[in-house]
Order: sequence, then structure tokens, then C-alpha cells
Amino acid sequence: MLEFMDYIQHAFYSASHWNYENSYSQLTSTARALLDFETPRGLRLNVSSLSSPNFATSYALGSVGLVDGSLSYLYTSLPLHATSQSGKLNLHDVIRGYRQIQELRKPEESWMWEQWLGGKRVDQRDTLLYGRLYLPQSTLEALYLCRISPTQQVKLSAVSDSRLKNGGTILALHQYDVGKYSAETLYSTDGGLIGLRGLYNFGPDPRKEVPEPPRADDRPYGRFSAGAELYYGSLNKSGGVSFGGRYATLPAHKGIPLTATLTVNPLMGNLSTSYAVKAGKNLALCSKFDFNVYSYESDLMLGCELWRMKKRVEKKMERSMAAKLAWTVDEVKEPTTPEPEEVAGVLKARVDENWKIGILWEGRIKEMLFTLGSSIDMKRKDQPFRALGLELQYSS
Amino acid sequence: MAFNFNWSPLAADADFYSRAREMLTAALNKSPKPPIIVDDILVNELNLGSVPPDLEILEIGDLAEDRFRGIFKMCYAGDAFLTLKTRVQANPLNTYLFSKPSFTSPQPLAASSGLTIPLQITLSEIKLSAFIILVFSRQKGLTLVFRNDPLESLKVSSTFDSIPFVRDYLQKEIEAQLRTLMMDELPAIIHRLSLRLWCPEHKARVAEEKAHAAKLDEEVPVDPFASPPQDAVDARGNVLDASEISSLSLDRGSEIHSLFSQKNLLRLAALTDSHRTLSLFTPSIRDAVFRAWAGPSERSDTMGSSGPATPTLMRSHSSLGSTSTTYTFGKGSDDGHGQLTSRPSLVSLNSSTTGLSLGAGRHSRSHANRKKKTRVVNLRKKKTTDDMVSESADSETSSVMPASEPLYATSISEEPGDSIITPPRSPSGRVRFRTSSIDLGDSPRKLRLSNPGRPGMTSLTVPEQAILDPVPPIEQLDSRATAPISTNPHRSSHAPSQYAAEKSKSDIPHLEPAPMLSDPSVPGILEQAWVLKMAGEIARRAHDEKAVAEGFWQRDDRDDTPPPAYQQKA
Repeated sequence: MLEFMDYIQHAFYSASHWNYENSYSQLTSTARALLDFETPRGLRLNVSSLSSPNFATSYALGSVGLVDGSLSYLYTSLPLHATSQSGKLNLHDVIRGYRQIQELRKPEESWMWEQWLGGKRVDQRDTLLYGRLYLPQSTLEALYLCRISPTQQVKLSAVSDSRLKNGGTILALHQYDVGKYSAETLYSTDGGLIGLRGLYNFGPDPRKEVPEPPRADDRPYGRFSAGAELYYGSLNKSGGVSFGGRYATLPAHKGIPLTATLTVNPLMGNLSTSYAVKAGKNLALCSKFDFNVYSYESDLMLGCELWRMKKRVEKKMERSMAAKLAWTVDEVKEPTTPEPEEVAGVLKARVDENWKIGILWEGRIKEMLFTLGSSIDMKRKDQPFRALGLELQYSS
Repeated sequence: MAFNFNWSPLAADADFYSRAREMLTAALNKSPKPPIIVDDILVNELNLGSVPPDLEILEIGDLAEDRFRGIFKMCYAGDAFLTLKTRVQANPLNTYLFSKPSFTSPQPLAASSGLTIPLQITLSEIKLSAFIILVFSRQKGLTLVFRNDPLESLKVSSTFDSIPFVRDYLQKEIEAQLRTLMMDELPAIIHRLSLRLWCPEHKARVAEEKAHAAKLDEEVPVDPFASPPQDAVDARGNVLDASEISSLSLDRGSEIHSLFSQKNLLRLAALTDSHRTLSLFTPSIRDAVFRAWAGPSERSDTMGSSGPATPTLMRSHSSLGSTSTTYTFGKGSDDGHGQLTSRPSLVSLNSSTTGLSLGAGRHSRSHANRKKKTRVVNLRKKKTTDDMVSESADSETSSVMPASEPLYATSISEEPGDSIITPPRSPSGRVRFRTSSIDLGDSPRKLRLSNPGRPGMTSLTVPEQAILDPVPPIEQLDSRATAPISTNPHRSSHAPSQYAAEKSKSDIPHLEPAPMLSDPSVPGILEQAWVLKMAGEIARRAHDEKAVAEGFWQRDDRDDTPPPAYQQKA
């Protein structure tokens, strides 16, 4: 489940029309959400609030043997009108599951952002500032996010911690996204790491032509994307490179939605394939296979996600005053559209070839969101439960 | 006199290699490994070779049928080799991300995917050159300590020899690892091996302990470290972090002594400070009865304790029953061999200030000074490598430190409790005999308690009892005998005031701490050597006389049980 501050950050992306998914680092987000989810450890409590459209606070208290916690504050210059009450949140927004990629949007022109007042430009760049202090470790996280133009974004994140080398690190990330392709440049002060990432989407260019309407036939309708990344640590003279490709169906696809990815690390000889399908309305399945051509090591992982829905509780219809006055009963109105069902909970499970099992149950009780999870190691018969955790979130 | 060193019988023992391999494997896997190593390090092959090392006897401090103590110079250029096996992570990006916070991680998609490679490393052509202190006693086994960094050169050949970058990296890393192994782990390994060979009681004790441990496993003991103190400090007042606390355990008895809450130490410091000043504030300490100083009587007590009977030996019993032995080597051994490395005394200054600021009055101050003074090589415990490094650094710099050094002169001290003569000591008698200052006594002295006249304080600062051992007589005999030889006019007149100076934390510049031997007023190396020689002679004679006269060894034989500090764990 997304933390509240991450949820607000995503709300900022959508409010400023930034396509978060159109990046090489998000190429395997479906497989990550279904297979690499984190199981909580110990008890954790989050209390958060979007007190004004521009300001959010969050406090966390955790207990894994020791009691620790964090305070975080967020400011954004762009007013956010996202639902923040945990009782009313759409769980699809905070629980990462099968990621259905969307049709590419045409990026906004830069003149659309201009605001003029009395012959002067008065518009400002949308920014987001975020800080988080962990106690008692005294670790400070800071984030600065700025939309410098409709197609560009700059993200600066920093961590200050006395235990780190040089007292902390800063990561600068510049993102450029025109829909058809996106490119990212990053620099980390830790080891002087320089990185380049790029993603290219095959198919129609959203800037030139209107996306054709979805066809009615059964042919698969999807999009193929390919990308690469390159890193070089200028201080420790090390590097890394990888290529990747993804085929995913678009929402207009008539058949079963599917996502298939392949990533290759040519330096280390690592091949990783993943395949995910949304087998039903509430069920998604995923498998991942890793193979190393140099060491012949392989790994297989299977995972699934099951959404449990429940009928929305109908409001009790009181006899209206007009009906009482008329000495009649109210006319029974036939619901024209079926009420959308409410999410009762999500069950996620994964298993790998070493019989390590991770189970997560996420849902809502009353006004609280909860995450209950455990990781189990079946190889260790004496102590199969490696970790057990419960996370509670309340926000207003 | 001739010694016969047998090299090949060591290797002839079939069991020897497997045992040594086992111990080396355990030692290599004990310390936290760098993220590049993803598997256990296994010692695959070990061979001591056929070429014995060259040994040059520099000094023999003690020689009897069942004991031996000496200092050697060793040179080795033989054909011993060692083969290790492990698996390493070959992707540098993977290890780069390992210890980094996830918030600023660049989050590579697949560039960080791992590749583990089995690695075989062979260490050969090992060239060693070292000064070795060898102490052997039938009862306590063999102790071997390097005075300097023994490793001269080494050839590392591995699976990756064709890649020069990897080869150089491995060479560098392994040399560093091996240095710590030689300095810290090897003495412990040798000691344990020797105990198995020579001490039949040890075997019995091991068996007994095993049975005991099996029993303990059934009834799970309550571990006080399950909920560690929040702001624990170690003996020198440095704050321990959580991982260090968690690495402490019940088995390591003596570590507990040094674990106090920083809060309590600060509070005690405030309490003692309030005595020296006119401060009306006395902090309250729970579950403790506080008694203020009544008058001058207590003061004289504290003065007296630093007077004639300066306790150089202290024995602290572990309240938990398991004790560990630390061997204390006087810093002076350096001078005697002319290999004194005088580094800038930043470290020691630093540590002394922390001791002063945090310490609870006199106790911890003297403790801190003492820490600086001695080099404690703990041979029984597994986990004091950090301490040892820092202490050795301190000990080498300690001669620069002013004040209080003469107080803690370590000298030849034989078995504990053999002091009967406590002659009135002239203040000028603080000559130390550095060459022979190997302290073999049972001395796991974490705590130093020098004023018995303040029961309230002692019960507060020292939860475990500490016993005051009188000064071993040899030192005093020596000091008396050589007092005329050492010609320092300042000494006798200033020595009492030096205590006062020390107490009031003020440094009087002309009170050079430096021992007499390196005093500029003593001219020439020849004279020094002569003094040393004389001192050694007198010491030995005095010791022999006393042993004969008072039946020292008989007395020693009478108490069957070894001193408590030697009841080590396996």
C-alpha cells in the first residue's frame, strides 16, 4: 500500500499532468507490484492529513523491537484536491497491483501554462517540497520536485545521515517526456554516479495524430515499448547497463489484458522475463523467470493478486415526508445503473522456487486502512514465519 | 643454553590441520563481511610448509620448567599456503546499492542484477617479519602476540588473475584482512589450540561446559540484553550504537562491566562535581543512598590511595561467573627495543577529554588514564577487535600525555597475591622497567577503584566488585634499589604535588610525564641500558630470594584453583 505522502506525490503528478508511468524505470512496475511487494514488519501506525490543498503532514510510529517513528511535511504550490480521507479513498489508487498502461496523451504546449497579468507573465512553476525526519536515528530525507515545463521535471532528493559516508547523499534527476519517448538523466553524489535512461514507445505518435479509435475485432491491441539504461560511477569507475522491452495491451483491448517484459543485462549476463495477465475482473497472475547465462543461476517467482469486492451498503430509505403526508408509501425506484462495488480487500501472494512465501492482505476497517502481511520460509520447518506485520493508516 | 624448535611435528599431527582449518573458518566468518562477499568464506586448504621461520631471541624474561616468557624476532619466508573459497558479487552496481538509502537510490531497473561467482583465493609466498612476545605457562597455555604488523608481503592468486583491476583489488583487500587476522585473531587461535594440547583440565572443563550449555539450552536464560539500554556507553564514554549493544551477549562477561548508561555516568559526574564546587544541586539517583563527604578524613583517604600503595593490579570478578583473561602489556616494551613509534597524540587527548567530561569523578578519570597506558590484548574473547585497535593506538601515543603516567607503571608482576613486603615507598621511586614489563597477572581490569574510603560512590559506579591488589613487591624492590641511580632532581620534590595537579586537572608543564628512562636528564643510551640491566638483575634476585624465603611456589601450589580470571570459556 502506498504511504500517504507517496499518494500525495502521485496526486501532484496527476494534477500537473505528468505521466509517471512513461519512464524506463517503471517498465516492470506490474511485475514489481505483484511479486516484489514488501511485507510489513512489526506494528506501524500512520496518521496523516491533507490539512489544506497545499499542505500535508504525516506522522508514523513503528515498533520492531524498538520504537521508532518519523515526522513528515509536504508543501506544494499546486493545490491538490485529491480525496484524502482514508474512509473514502479509492483503494485502487493506494494499492499497487496490475498496472494497466494508458493511452499516451498529447503533451501540453508550453504556451498553455503561461499566465499574463498586465503585460507580465505571472505563472510559476509547480513545485513540491517534502521533508521527513526519522527518529531516533536522526535521518533526514528531503525532496524537491519542480515541473519546469509541460515536458520536463526536475527531482532532487537528499538524505542526511551521520552514518552515511560524507554525511549524506543527493540525487538529482531530470526527466523529459514527450509521450512518444522519454529520457532521464541523473547524478548521484554518492560515488559520482551518472545515469541515463530512455524509453521509446512504438506506434502512433501522440503529438502528431489523434490516436485511432479502438477497433472492434479480436486482434490484440497494445503497445510495445523499448528502453535502455546506462550508469557510470565516475569515482569508483564502475558501471552498469541494461536493455528492456515491454508489450502491454491497452484498455481498449477486448481480450484478456496482459503485460510481458524482457530485460537484459549484457554485462552480467542476466536475463529476466515476466508475464502478467489480468485473468478476471478481480484476479491478476504474474510469473517471473530470471536466468544468468554466465553462472547458470536461475530463479522463478509466481504471484497472484485477488481483489475481494463487496456490495456497497445501501442506505436505509426512510419514508419521506411527502409520502407520509399523502398517506402512501414511497415509490420503489428501480436502480438504473448497478452501484459500483466496493473493495473489501486485496490478497497478494507470491512464492519463489526456494519456497519463500509472502502474503499480504490489504483493506479497510471502518475509517482505517490496514496492511497485514507475513513472509514464510517453508524450508525452515522449525520457524517458518520469518516476519509478521500490521500497518495501520488513518488520514483526513 | 639452547632451544630446540620443532616445526615438522606440528604438521605431522593429522588432526592439527583440520582443527586449524575449522578455527580459521570460524574466525574469517565472524566479522561482518563486505557486501561483495555473498557466501561464507571456507578455508579449503592449509599447509604450513616445510621451511621453518627464523627466530632470533631478543630477550627471555622468565624461564622455568613450566613457564616461559620471551621476546623474539621472527622472519618467515617459507612455503606455507592457504586456499580460501567463497562466492562474490561481481556486479559493482549491486554492491553500490547495498548500503545506500533507498530514498536517493537511482533505482536501476536491471542494471543492478546480480552475478555471483565462485572464487578461490590462494595465499602463498607469505613473508613475515615481526617481533613476537611469547608467553607460555603449562596452566594457561601459550600466548603469542605480535608487537608490530607482521605481514611484509604476500602473493594472492585467484580465479581472476587475468583481470588486473580485480587482482589488485583483491590483493589490497586481502592484505588488509590478513593484517587484522594476524594481529587480532591469530593469538586467540593459537591460545585455544595450545590449551587443547597442554591443558587436560581445559578439556574436562570444555566437556563440562558443553554439558552445562546443553542444559542451559533447555531452560532458556533471561537475557538482560534483550532490551538494551537506550544510551549505552563503553568504558571510555563513547556512545555505543545499537548494533554494538546487540552484539554483546551474556557469554562475554567482562564486556558487561563497561556498559553503563551514559545518563547515569553524567549524573554521577554531576554528583562528584557538586562536591568540589559550592553547587547546591545534587542530582538524585534512584535506588541509591548518597552520603556526602564528612570531612578531611575522606580526603586523606583518596590521597592515601594514590600514595605508597598504588595498586597496579586489580582483579575484577565477573558477577556472571564467566571471566575472561586479558593480558596487559606495558607500553614500555616499545622503548626497550627502540621501535617506539611516536605518533601525534590526538587520539589519546581526545579519549582523555571524553573520559574527563563523562567520567564519574576520579574513578573514571583514572580509568581513562589507565586505558591509555596499557595495551590490553584479550585472548579469550572473540569480539574486541575494535577495542584492541584503538587501545593499541592509544598506548603508543601515551608517552606524550602529561600527568599521571607514573601512577600506572606496569611492571613485572608475577602471580597475584604474592606481595608481602610493602616497604615505604619513596616518591622518587617511580622508575619503570620497560623492557620487562609484561604483565602476566590476571588482570582483566576494566574498572579501577582507587579509593576505598567512599562506599557510597563505589557502590554506585561499580556494580561489580573490584578487588584491590597490593603492589607486587618486585616493582617496589626495584624502585627502591634503583632510586639512587635515576637522577632526576625534580621527581622527589614534585611528585606529591603532581597528584594534586592531576586531581585538579591542571597540567604543570615542567612535570614531564615521561618516564625516567627517556628523560633528557639521563644521558646516553649506555647508561640507560646499564640501568635496565641492573634493574633486571635486581628484580630477578629479589624475586628469587623472596620465592625461596617465603615458599612462594609452595604457597602458589596450595591454592589449587587458578585465580578466577583464568577460568576462561572455550
